[in-house]
Amino acid sequence: MSREIGNNPLDNGTFADHLEQNGVSRRGFLKFCTSMAAALALPAGSAEVMAEALAAAKRPTVIWLSFQECTGCTESITRSHTPTIENLIFDYISLDYHHTLQVAAGLQAEEARDQAMKAAYGKYLLIVDGAIPIKDGGIYSTIAGRTNLSMLEEAAAGAAALISVGTCAAYGGLPMAHPNPTGAVPVTDIVKDKPVMNIPGCPPIGLVMTSAIAHFLTFGRLPEMDQLGRPKAFYGDSIHDRCYRRPFYDRGLFAKAFDDEGARKGWCLYELGCKGPTTHNACATMKWNDGTSFPIESGHPCLGCSEPNFWDAGGFYEALSVPQSRMGETILKAGAVGVGVGAVAAALNQRNKAATVAAQETMTVDALKKES
Amino acid sequence: MSKPSIEKGVNFIKGQIDAPVASFFSSCIHCGLCAEACLFYTETGDPKQTPINKVEPMRRVWEQEFTVLGKLKSMVGLGKPVDEKVFSEWETLVYDGCSLCGRCSLVCPVGNDISGMIRKIREGFSAAGHAPEGLISATQRAVEIGSPMGVKLPAVKAQIRHLQADTGLSVPLDQQGAEYMVLLSSMEIMNFPEYLEAIARIMKQAGKSWTISSTAFEATNSGIQIGVSDLAKVIVERVVDAAEALGVKTVISPECGHAYTAIRWDGPNLIGRPYKFEVKHILEVLDELTVAGLIQTEGMETAKLTYHDPCQIARKGGIVEAPRRLLNQVASNFIEMSEPGVMNWCCSGGGGVSANERADEIKLTAFRRKKSQLDELKVETLVTACANCRLTLEEGLEANGMDIPVVGLTEMVAEHLVEDGTQKESAS
Repeated sequence: MSREIGNNPLDNGTFADHLEQNGVSRRGFLKFCTSMAAALALPAGSAEVMAEALAAAKRPTVIWLSFQECTGCTESITRSHTPTIENLIFDYISLDYHHTLQVAAGLQAEEARDQAMKAAYGKYLLIVDGAIPIKDGGIYSTIAGRTNLSMLEEAAAGAAALISVGTCAAYGGLPMAHPNPTGAVPVTDIVKDKPVMNIPGCPPIGLVMTSAIAHFLTFGRLPEMDQLGRPKAFYGDSIHDRCYRRPFYDRGLFAKAFDDEGARKGWCLYELGCKGPTTHNACATMKWNDGTSFPIESGHPCLGCSEPNFWDAGGFYEALSVPQSRMGETILKAGAVGVGVGAVAAALNQRNKAATVAAQETMTVDALKKES
Repeated sequence: MSKPSIEKGVNFIKGQIDAPVASFFSSCIHCGLCAEACLFYTETGDPKQTPINKVEPMRRVWEQEFTVLGKLKSMVGLGKPVDEKVFSEWETLVYDGCSLCGRCSLVCPVGNDISGMIRKIREGFSAAGHAPEGLISATQRAVEIGSPMGVKLPAVKAQIRHLQADTGLSVPLDQQGAEYMVLLSSMEIMNFPEYLEAIARIMKQAGKSWTISSTAFEATNSGIQIGVSDLAKVIVERVVDAAEALGVKTVISPECGHAYTAIRWDGPNLIGRPYKFEVKHILEVLDELTVAGLIQTEGMETAKLTYHDPCQIARKGGIVEAPRRLLNQVASNFIEMSEPGVMNWCCSGGGGVSANERADEIKLTAFRRKKSQLDELKVETLVTACANCRLTLEEGLEANGMDIPVVGLTEMVAEHLVEDGTQKESAS
């Protein structure tokens, strides 16, 4: 990380130029594109397209704003392994403003942001981590004397698209948890007129963040998203559906304490409060730290950190008995009616079948023959 | 006793529909992969032979009886009926055009057990009086005489006497407390007596106690093939009663595919409880005895040979490695067929097809798949581990003018057995 960044936003050469400068071979670059395409579940052949698009494109300007956050998301993204933060953030994009990673500080840093915004107005990608406090005019979090609220409003106006990284930016997260003293809100409560993608998680998986950014660079648009604004490629399945402990759940084998026989045998952690069934994320498949492990694999239930309002959804160690807060009462009622109708239909079918079986005579050899 | 009728047939089909069947029909995506997996389709090119189409009458019953849309359709006269015409049309698809080999179930991308459903729909066809003559009489003989080929105890005893006179080997009958109870298939009694001799020699050398039951020597289960669970149960119970009365530890299923499926997998479900003994296929036993060092072999077959995996033993029984370990021990030039092991192609005579004379023509057509596999290899010997496969292969090879001897693996192992006292010359 020796290169100084943020000083010269106008010098945005193409990727190819930068690769050459940095001694990255074409082969290495293709490898990177292939792993990206695979991570995003893109069709075969996308790697080539990606390679061409990335090689020819000008390195787009990226501005990263950090508000009410803990820097955990940045910590996580620096642990992305394909691409690494170095080759993505420093080589393929022009990261012109990031509190933690930039060398510049104070006035110099704020100037870099202004300059970058002006130079790439309407085209830059704005990444936000952290929630935005809006109570009392937003005074509870300020940078260089400006409130987060006004900084976001100004930066969003010139952005092509936004990515909310982390549960705080995506859904309010910890700052918004009860009693929410600063009136924290997610990005989507403030920015209504720009495409916003959410990469929730506390923190999100580094690879998910870098892959989503790579998708934007390649195709010039955000990937396909679900109703909560999350890229489907990574948030399409629940942890539970892809969990390697799922067979134990299906057989009703649960760990009841962290040190009992079930825990030692690796049984399902549902009764210890696992939120896997209601949590959509890629932890169970992509895992963490270069594919090493994920919480359930190391023996701890899923906290559900990538779901909205996860802090206020009951104790982490309380077994999930009711769906979490996003499921409104209407949905619950509709669901209950559906289950009821289904149960009645199933019961009728079962009676229908039971009566049929009961009426059947035992088959004999004679019963096989038409005439005898 | 009521006579077979269409109403009865439909009711029996209805009685077979359970949650898995309902989910199979709901999840079929009509991709057609099962057709390409079925030798009765690939060799005839007839779209009617697509496996999922063979259970179409069952799908109609399911739709009409268990789905709201189907009930509505029937009410307004749009439902397709399951009547005499349907039973007559599908009878040959359900029995003649399916060897229950299970290849379709294996390739189905949504995991539908199509061959399992064909086994189920046969319950309805047999209750409707639409089972083939050949299978009805085989089942009758199995239930009434004790063997589908009509083999009676005196025939078995005669074979034992010949064996004892020729070789001096003893074959214990009804020996209480023996470790193994050996089952035979009729074909082994009538056509391949080498099998019993091989067993007697191997057991003697391994020093294991074994016996044959006078009340349950027959392993084949025509009830499974014709698709009548009530009769399959009667046949299984005979073996279970005999084995438990003799107090044997393990029952050995012979070189017969459906016998193994019937006694190993279907049996406990048919009688509704677990056995008090274990069931193993003879190949598993041979492999165990070899690994335990209880039997040794010497000499190698040098002829170029290949192994035909019987569907019920490899694909449905999971016995894939044992025959290969055994073969590599006694043959120096063993080569694999294309798609060996669980993806093998059926001999074309399983699932009751070989007992159904009406199916002779389509059976020989379907055999072309095996023929082309063999043509690629140009082997001198074909080894298998199922008497029914063996007979079907022999017939098919002869019909095609192919001069390849078919050998049972157990006999081949026995050929090379190192026996105390009689130092054998290594076989060619």
